[in-house]
Amino acid sequence: MSQLPHIYAENIHRWLPELLHYALYTLHIAWAAFLLAVAIGLVFAILRTSRSQLLRTIASIYIEVARGLPIVVLLFIVYFAPPQYFPGLNWRWLNDYTGAVVGLGIHGGAILAEIFRSGIQALHKGQREAAIALGMTPAKAMAYIILPQALRIVLPPVTNYASGLLKDTALCSLIGVNELMNGAKSIAFAEYQPMAVFLLAAAIYFVMSYPLSIAARYMEIRMSHGR
Amino acid sequence: MHPVEVFLTKGGTYFAWIVQGLPETIKVAICAVLFALVFGLVVALVRMTRWRALRLPAVMYVEFFRGTPAFVQLFVIYFGLPDLGYQPSPFQAAIVGLGLNGAAYFSEIYRAGIESIHKGQMEAALTLGMTPIRAMRYIILPQAIRSMLPPITTVAILLLKDTALVFTVGIVEILALSRQLVTETLQSGVVYPMAGAIYLCMTIPMARLSARLERAKQAWQ
Repeated sequence: MSQLPHIYAENIHRWLPELLHYALYTLHIAWAAFLLAVAIGLVFAILRTSRSQLLRTIASIYIEVARGLPIVVLLFIVYFAPPQYFPGLNWRWLNDYTGAVVGLGIHGGAILAEIFRSGIQALHKGQREAAIALGMTPAKAMAYIILPQALRIVLPPVTNYASGLLKDTALCSLIGVNELMNGAKSIAFAEYQPMAVFLLAAAIYFVMSYPLSIAARYMEIRMSHGR
Repeated sequence: MHPVEVFLTKGGTYFAWIVQGLPETIKVAICAVLFALVFGLVVALVRMTRWRALRLPAVMYVEFFRGTPAFVQLFVIYFGLPDLGYQPSPFQAAIVGLGLNGAAYFSEIYRAGIESIHKGQMEAALTLGMTPIRAMRYIILPQAIRSMLPPITTVAILLLKDTALVFTVGIVEILALSRQLVTETLQSGVVYPMAGAIYLCMTIPMARLSARLERAKQAWQ
């Protein structure tokens, strides 16, 4: 441990730019996976609250399975399995990057679906009824009355999820994505400095993920004051 | 052969192979959770002391371990500690790696639970002549435990799922055996969903339990 400052002083000018370069890719994956997760989450939150028993069941099975699987296993399934089941289709789009985005997106979709659902259900039913009584279609009532209010409720947990997602991207190194964790591995083992390099990588993850979790905590406090 | 055919013909053999890793997965999960429960309590108590010099390291510990990926923490411990002259065994690294991570989350759960009990109770217990430790043991914790149980179960599920990472430090559990099998048979489309199913058999009941505890807690409040 006492040598660490010395090691950093000598190497950081090489390691840090390289790791930051990898970190950019991590951010890239996280952002794409976040967008996909929001889309999936919205669809399944609506299915989960629909009137049809069948749709509700389908949605809750998806949510339980996608949340119950370890993310690594989910990534392995998404990345390796589909071409074996449907060999006739064109799988050229499925590479380590898209596999990571889809895998993380499926996992995040389940988490966000539950968050969105609690947001939708937190609002009083009367609001929807009033909107429909005023002549809005159910879709319009959702878009203009329910969702804007629900957004305020769900923002803190969604931010928390995003902070977790940034950390989960580290698992994508296991399907060969060249993100921060993989970059750290290659530097650490090439230069025989695992402690120094992995700690530096941890620090970069911290800098990316921590502000989001602070923001989430801040929003939670503000929201609880508002009520 | 299509994976469905493979599943129908060889599924049993594959399953018998993978499931051999289940005891190791469970062992790592239970040890990590126990380590985290105990160490988390220590951290929570240190965090709530009056001495700032003690509180600060505890806060830093919690924020660092919650702010960085468990995967990186595992690598720091397994591959980094030898730099400091200690080579942990894969099992030690897995328990300490996942355990330190879980302890950071548990300590926050403990703290929230303890702080949810009205301060007057502690004061009353102290007035009655109890030592702070006895008051904690007999008055505060038994009440706080109710509100802590649901989030503790949630973190335990997270730790169980994180055991899928420990094959990277050489522990032969479910996923390690699955990967071996895939290398041999190339049937990733059968093997990984099967491994996933084994995890689901554990995580879904635990998630249901957590939801039940949460409802029970709300009914109690």
